[in-house]
Amino acid sequence: MTLRVELSFSQLLHEAFVSLRTLGKRSILALLGIVIGSSSVVALINIGHNAAVDAAMIFKEMGTDTLVAQFPSKGTINLPMATRLDLDAVRQAVPGLTHIGALTLLSGPVVFHGRSTNANVVGSTPGIQGAMRLVVQEGRFLSPFDANETYGVIGAQLAQALGAPGDPLRLGDRVRINDYLFLLVGILQHQPRAMMMPVQANDSLFIPAQGMRRIYANPQIANVIIRAAPGLDMELIAQHANVALQAQLVDHTVDIQVPQQMIDGMTRQSRTFAYLLLALGAISLVGGGVGVMNVMLMNVSERRREIGIRMALGARQRDIRNLFLLEAVTLTAVGAACGAVLGMTCAWLYAWLSGWAFALAVAALPLGVGSTLLVGLFFGIYPAISASRLQPVEALRDE
Amino acid sequence: MMTDTSALPGLISLQGIGKRYQLAGQELTILNDVCLAIARGDSCGILGASGSGKSTLLNILGLLDLPNCGQYHFAGHNIFNASPDELAAIRNQQIGFVFQSFNLLPRLSALDNVALPLSYRGVSRHESVEQALRMLEQVGLAERAHHRPADLSGGQRQRVAIARALVGNPSVILADEPTGNLDSHTAQDIMNLLLALNREQQVTLIIVTHDPHIAERLDRKILVRNGVVQEAGRL
Repeated sequence: MTLRVELSFSQLLHEAFVSLRTLGKRSILALLGIVIGSSSVVALINIGHNAAVDAAMIFKEMGTDTLVAQFPSKGTINLPMATRLDLDAVRQAVPGLTHIGALTLLSGPVVFHGRSTNANVVGSTPGIQGAMRLVVQEGRFLSPFDANETYGVIGAQLAQALGAPGDPLRLGDRVRINDYLFLLVGILQHQPRAMMMPVQANDSLFIPAQGMRRIYANPQIANVIIRAAPGLDMELIAQHANVALQAQLVDHTVDIQVPQQMIDGMTRQSRTFAYLLLALGAISLVGGGVGVMNVMLMNVSERRREIGIRMALGARQRDIRNLFLLEAVTLTAVGAACGAVLGMTCAWLYAWLSGWAFALAVAALPLGVGSTLLVGLFFGIYPAISASRLQPVEALRDE
Repeated sequence: MMTDTSALPGLISLQGIGKRYQLAGQELTILNDVCLAIARGDSCGILGASGSGKSTLLNILGLLDLPNCGQYHFAGHNIFNASPDELAAIRNQQIGFVFQSFNLLPRLSALDNVALPLSYRGVSRHESVEQALRMLEQVGLAERAHHRPADLSGGQRQRVAIARALVGNPSVILADEPTGNLDSHTAQDIMNLLLALNREQQVTLIIVTHDPHIAERLDRKILVRNGVVQEAGRL
């Protein structure tokens, strides 16, 4: 008689398979507990992340990625500023720059059907639309081909002011500035008030920069507006843009305002959100972990007698351990995978309902799935191993 | 490993076995200086009042519990020198257990319950199912092979448990009140089955009972009283 008996691997797999196949209602409940624990971690972390992204978007729309350049003249004499700048050269010299546009400003009356309103007339290069985040409601914005045309794009509030009940300002109407009629090719959406901008788009009429000469003898560039790709160091971009612009100017210096206060605000806010996320993640990890722990502890302690019976029939400690290991691995893996899917679905639904953009949080899946696996495995195996170390008679004893 | 095969008589030999428990700071002596020898093919009843220590004696005989002192040789193996794995292997190959409360695994079919001990000695699935089916036939339950224990009557469950005890071809069957949860008619059937096995296959039978009618049908009667063992004269 040999005293070494080996349980073949296929036999072991069969054992675990039979055991799982016959799991029954109790282990469906165990699975449910694991799924809830895992999905709550995934969903909470992801929802928090989406909230942070959405809040950061608000700051970005306020213009944290926007630089406004002014051109004070050197010395005390007021020298005329250039009428055009080579913006493409600046674009090439400054990496990370996404939009650049120049503004020429004039304040004066705009007339439509005899009604006159004071407005900003803004000579713009086509890049202004992107730089100022102008959104067209009807028609289109000025294009490079419109340089010599008497076209105009009007701000929402100004369009309303010029229109009258029964005679609204429409696309294709003409408005008069001094002696020139400008054909409206676009009407802008109402824009939120932009703190950084030298002009408010709502009260402005945008016309091609070259056309400014028609209504004003010597137009000068007042500002250059620059937008950078998100997440870049604005100070650095401001320095590069300063150098590139200065190279084109003789009598004027370049003064670029960085929206430092807003950037600071955004940094602080994103730090606040990071802490919030950390707390959300920790709480849901603990909550989900306790759920998984309870389920696995219950599962094993209910089967203490089974462990005793199996030992009486000749199972060795490692047989017991392997059986529970395989079961715990399968149960928690299936549970964690379902939880990940469910959690992501919940986060997506929540983002959809609250109108946020859905973004995948990098940490959500590894944290949710990983913690579930760890907790599930530990509390699935640890009690089984400690039970398998008992004398069989103690495992068999009725509680 | 197990070189200690000194020519001790019989299958089971206990000498000076003692078992004590710590309970609420008090030491309780359950068994005291038990000496016992059981030969192959014997049928023994272990009798005694509840709390006398007879179940503890059975657990020690079945290697489910370890005594505190004394000498125990099982089929030539010194139990005190054996590792847990070796004890598990002896249980698997030499001992078949029949419990009062059947102790079938509720999630497995009767067939899988019976095949379970074979899986712990590396018998292939196919072969162990075949042997298990043969064993269920022997106890008259072949047509219930795929029922779960919950769908079987008490007598049928105990038959499944006996089939499970027998499937590994053990040299001894240890039964703890095997008829305790059964009506008298079914109990009679189960006893007949166990005694037939003892007679026909020379399986050593050790039965814990407090029922004198059962004890009467066994060759030897071992009385346990306050942790002390007495043999009540052979028939």
